[in-house]
Amino acid sequence: MIDPLIAAARGKVENGDALWRREEQTAVGFESGRLKAAGVSEETGLNLRVVAGGRMGVAGTTAAKPDFKALVDRARASAELGEKVELDFPAAATQTLPAIPTFFDRTANASLEDLIRIGKQLVERLSRPDCQINVAIEREVAETAVGNAAGARGAYRATGIAVTADITRIAGDDVLMVYDQYVGADMPSDADIEALVRSVETRLSAALKVVAPPEGALPVVFTPAGLAAVVLPLEQALSGKTVLQGSSPLAGKVGERMFDERLSIVDDPLTPGRPASRPIDDECVPSRCTPLVERGKVGRFVYDLETAARAKTQSTGNGQRGVFGKPHIGYSNVVFRVTDGIGAPGRDGGAQHAAPVHPLGGGLLAGIADGLIVDDLIGVGQGNVISGAFSHPVGLAYRVQRGEVTGRVKDAAVAGNAYDLLKKIGAFGNDGRWLGARWSPSMLLEGVSVARR
Amino acid sequence: MKDRLAEAVKQSRADYTEIRVERTWSSAVVFRGRRLETATVSEDQGGFVRVLNKGYGWGIASFTSLDELPRMVRSANELSRAIRLEEPIRLADVAPQTADALLDLDGDVRGIPLSEKKQLLDRYNGAMLAVSNKIVDTQSSYRDEVSEVWYVNSEGALLYQLRPEVVVSGTAIGRSNGNIEKGLESIGLRKGWRSVQNFEDQFRVVAQRAVDLLSAPRVRGGAYPVILDNELAGVFIHEAFGHLSEADAVYENPQAREMMSLGRRFGKAVLNVGDNGAAKGLRGTLPYDDEGTPTQDTALIKEGMLVGRLHSRETAAKLGERPTGNARAISFRHPPIVRMTNTYIAPGRKGVGFNDLIGDIELGVYACGAFGGQTMLENFSFTAAYGHMIRDGKVAELVKDVVLAGNLFQTLDRIDHIAGDFTWNQMGGGCGKGGQFPLPVTEGAPHVRIEQALIGGDV
Repeated sequence: MIDPLIAAARGKVENGDALWRREEQTAVGFESGRLKAAGVSEETGLNLRVVAGGRMGVAGTTAAKPDFKALVDRARASAELGEKVELDFPAAATQTLPAIPTFFDRTANASLEDLIRIGKQLVERLSRPDCQINVAIEREVAETAVGNAAGARGAYRATGIAVTADITRIAGDDVLMVYDQYVGADMPSDADIEALVRSVETRLSAALKVVAPPEGALPVVFTPAGLAAVVLPLEQALSGKTVLQGSSPLAGKVGERMFDERLSIVDDPLTPGRPASRPIDDECVPSRCTPLVERGKVGRFVYDLETAARAKTQSTGNGQRGVFGKPHIGYSNVVFRVTDGIGAPGRDGGAQHAAPVHPLGGGLLAGIADGLIVDDLIGVGQGNVISGAFSHPVGLAYRVQRGEVTGRVKDAAVAGNAYDLLKKIGAFGNDGRWLGARWSPSMLLEGVSVARR
Repeated sequence: MKDRLAEAVKQSRADYTEIRVERTWSSAVVFRGRRLETATVSEDQGGFVRVLNKGYGWGIASFTSLDELPRMVRSANELSRAIRLEEPIRLADVAPQTADALLDLDGDVRGIPLSEKKQLLDRYNGAMLAVSNKIVDTQSSYRDEVSEVWYVNSEGALLYQLRPEVVVSGTAIGRSNGNIEKGLESIGLRKGWRSVQNFEDQFRVVAQRAVDLLSAPRVRGGAYPVILDNELAGVFIHEAFGHLSEADAVYENPQAREMMSLGRRFGKAVLNVGDNGAAKGLRGTLPYDDEGTPTQDTALIKEGMLVGRLHSRETAAKLGERPTGNARAISFRHPPIVRMTNTYIAPGRKGVGFNDLIGDIELGVYACGAFGGQTMLENFSFTAAYGHMIRDGKVAELVKDVVLAGNLFQTLDRIDHIAGDFTWNQMGGGCGKGGQFPLPVTEGAPHVRIEQALIGGDV
């Protein structure tokens, strides 16, 4: 697809690149413990970006037999309105791309029965008379090809599987929702399924008793899931685009210590076995690991080709594109590396859990006289995220008193500012794990505002 | 196309087969700051097949290549037959509909040059940037589409729908002395080009608000009497109650059904809530849902009591109720699930206004505009764009980071006054559920007063 498209564009535009992707998904869904639906989806898409008259334009299509000429014409029409840009398209690679496993035969060849078996196993293990359990299993097999007019080419196959278990327990007027997920490029091992079951069970059993929330500026343990509200502002601020636009609080701070010196974060597309891993990005830039935060200092911002050109720097290989839009900046795997602490994904990088499942709190509860464990917040991403400020009702949170979990709290809201809280991190947990494309341990943060009714 | 789909349904060996095919023409313009990001025209097309066999589960296939239709029908049938069910899935009866339902395009966006769309957005984006040199960044987007949807099922339904949509939105980022604030305007309509002209003032207002918020204090956390403006009251009812009125949240769960039994009291007598997919000209409006069921106005809460819920054919059959036309899919890539359309809090007594709500509040919060909301059924958030303190019955200083924590059983019941100043708030964005986002919906409400609600922040 790429070669004939680039050939069709030659002579009509000065430069360009393209992405072709084919995805096949198989999904099974258990509702209230019953297998009720199975589905397949097939999608093919082709995205073209051109530079014509010095201006950039894009076009995409999901047509099975794309009309290359029409696609080029549409991209040129888009470029007529586009901004002037000088893109530095990567030349044909002189070295081979980094070899990382993204395709697992076991995942690609898993039959419908194999997927159903995993679901049944989870339903059996997690069924309780007073709970409803839903399980969803989605397996994806994708082929990607990228290329540009400068001669660079890249192609790879990838697999991914997500196994999601969510439990709803309604007792009178009390609604409790507990959820966890295995995500990997390879099929989950028995240990992965066991870890998923125990993770859900641990959080469910500690939540059965409801206790009154505390109030005030308190120590709060954010679990890897609960951390989303704290990490999101950083992800926005470390994007080269936000920096270029002047709205990043971290702009101009490269090399400055902005966070606790034990905190390091990298964007790592080379982690084996993760669905977000890839040898090359969607703009033909070979993948590499990018230090975002190094021992508390701002490291490097992430860039795609266009943003890098405008900022007069190099792409970090973080170009991502869909079928219809233009490439944009996206993270691959965001990995927390704790210096002088326990953590970083193990040698088996791709596994969901670095170790057998941990008790709630990641070993951080001992010194807490009164505080919270926050596992889920409601409405994350909907406030003024870039400022670092967050304020959310708790979705799933536990009270900690004298170092022990005493029960679940409801009708409480936590608020704070990510930049203030991450300046001094109380401690890092021993429970590092993957959650989607992010690996982190729990973190104890001090002085988080907790309000209650 | 209809004949082709009808033929494919006829060839299907399943007991029940439905096919939905969509062809969507769309164009988009995006600005970031003063710079154009993209201006594109796209065409997306694909199909969705869903089949059911007696005693078996749903088999589903979605695809972008229509040439594969016969194979996908067979594939869906095989998937269905791989799932044996003891308790069969039943579908409530709906008289098969045959119609061409063409919504008013209101200035067909397909006939407007992309350059004019760029100019329009440039004006709105420029209006935000011109407000102050403290506006350091903007994100503005214009997106329109005309979607053709064919729906055919083995019971004889044969529908063709033409669904337009146009969304213009802008975020203004203000910055000074390390503070960063944003203002958001978003207009989403199931209409066309003519409906999105002359909104410069609205964009200016939100940019000015981003600047004003830079010097506003954060709201202090705690429980307050709260007045919600029309926009936030709409988001509130969508999150607080709308999602739990979707029958798929309860139909397989006996405890949930008991909690949500019809006739239960959820609010005071002033509270009336409904969902109306048949309302004229709104973003959530559709003549037929994605199972071919005609849409309707469904009462959910009447004088404080639960009186109805939103259904697909499957949830309606399970609960012995009637389908309401709320089975919706965001595209051919997804199955229809129970969703809201245009959800509203009905206006209170005519003549009751904002001043009647605020008069006796000594200390409270007037929460305005909406950045969003999310629910976990009992507990939910709704995030205001900004707020004002209420002091001694009057609107006082501007405050920021106003996020409300709601509880289904407490917050609804604490609504004690509802004004008569109802408006529909046709925002862009949309609703997300089950991996399907953004679904076009509308919310409507008057000013609403909650006796006491929790707001997050320093205490």
